[in-house]
Amino acid sequence: MAPGVQTVRVGEFFDAGRDSLQISHVAGCQAEALERSIPEPLAHRPGLALTGFFEHFASKRIQVIGLAEYAYLQSLTPELRRERLDALFAHDVPCVVFTRGMEVFDEVRTLANEKKVAVFVTQLETRYFIHSSAFVLENLSSPRMDIHATMVEVSGLGVLLEGDPGIGKSETALGLLKRGHALVADDYTILRRNGENRLIASAKPLSQGFMEIRGIGFIHVQRVFGVCALRDEKQVDMVITFTRATLETNEKLERIGGKNEQKRVFLDIAIPQLVIPVAPGRDLVNIVETAVCFLKLKQNGYVASEELDARWAEMLKRVEGKEK
Amino acid sequence: MDDSICESRDLVLKNKYGMHVRPAGLFAKVASRYDADVQVEKGNVRVSGKSIMAMMTLEALCGATLHVTAKGPQAKQVLDELESLVNRKFDIPDEQ
Repeated sequence: MAPGVQTVRVGEFFDAGRDSLQISHVAGCQAEALERSIPEPLAHRPGLALTGFFEHFASKRIQVIGLAEYAYLQSLTPELRRERLDALFAHDVPCVVFTRGMEVFDEVRTLANEKKVAVFVTQLETRYFIHSSAFVLENLSSPRMDIHATMVEVSGLGVLLEGDPGIGKSETALGLLKRGHALVADDYTILRRNGENRLIASAKPLSQGFMEIRGIGFIHVQRVFGVCALRDEKQVDMVITFTRATLETNEKLERIGGKNEQKRVFLDIAIPQLVIPVAPGRDLVNIVETAVCFLKLKQNGYVASEELDARWAEMLKRVEGKEK
Repeated sequence: MDDSICESRDLVLKNKYGMHVRPAGLFAKVASRYDADVQVEKGNVRVSGKSIMAMMTLEALCGATLHVTAKGPQAKQVLDELESLVNRKFDIPDEQ
C-alpha cells in the first residue's frame, strides 16, 4: 500500500455516514461485523449476483439493495430468495445497505446475524446514496498523516505553520485570529490527500476549536473570537516554516523571491514553502499576511523581483545609449 | 572587540550585467554567513554588503570597482569568499 493509505472499517463508515447518509444499523450488530474492512471503498448494486451470476462479482464493495434489487428479490419464491441471499452472504461482503428506508427481509436479518455482516437501512434514494457514499468513503480511505503544525486560513488561503515547539506558531495564529483570519487546527494537524490530489488539513476532533497559549493555558477559539474564527477543514496552499535565525540558517534563506520556489512534500503533494527566520522584533503575523499576498500575486503571474530585473535592464540600455 | 580585524579589498565586477538583483542576492548571502560587518563602496556611496536593495542602488555595471571593507573576527574569510564569488562571475551561466 502507498504511504498513509487507510483501510476503511464498516464501523467507521457507519459513524461517518450516520447523519449525512441517514443510515441506521438494523442487523448484524456484533462487534465483528463493524470490524470488517471495506477493501474497495465503493458502493455496488449486486443485481446480477442476485440472479445467481457471480462471475466478476465485486464482493469487496458495499452491497446496495435499491428498488430494482428489492423488487427482484420480492418476485422470487421464499426458497429461491433464501438461496440467492445465501450465495450473496457466502461471498464475504463487507456490509449490505437497503435504500429508501425499505423493510429488510427476514432472511437477510437471519443471515446477517449468522455471518456477522452489518446490514444498514438508509432513508435516501439509491442514486443519492451511491453519490454521497462515494464522498464519505473517499474521505475515510484517503491517505493521511499527522503533523506538529498549526493550520490557519488567511485571506482565503490555507497556510500551514511549522516550526520547533515554542517558536511561536500558536502566538502567530492568535495574532491572525485577532485580525479576522480563521483557525483550522492548533499545534496538531491531520493532513489528508483527497481524490483531486489536494492536501486537506483538519483538526483532531478532540482538540478542535481549542488553542494552548503558553502562560495563559487553553482558550476556546469560538468563545473568544466568534463563530467565524474557526474552519472545519481547509486546503493547504502554502507552508511557512519558522526557524531560529543563526549565521548558518542565513545561508539557506530566500532573499529575492523569484519564480522558482522551495517546496515541501506531504503525501506526495508538493506545496510552496517559505522559510521565515524568527528573531526578536519580527512581526510574524504581518509577515504571514504578506506572504499570502506574495503567493496570490505569484499565482496571478506577478513576481516583484522580475520587475526589478526589468528596471535594471532599462538602466543598462540608457547607459549604453549614452556611451554611443 | 580585540579579535576584530579590519580589511579592505578592491573587487572588479566581471559578469556581463553588473550588480543586479541576482548577483546582489548571492553577495548578500555570503556576507550574512560570516561574523563580520561588510560594507561596499562605489564612488562616494557606501552601503551594507548584506542589503540587496542598497547594493543595487550603487548601479555598479560590468567593469566597476567595488571597495569592500570587512570588520570582525571573520573579516578575512568573508573577503576571500566574496572575492572568489565576484571573480567567478557569480557562477551565473549566461553572464560569463
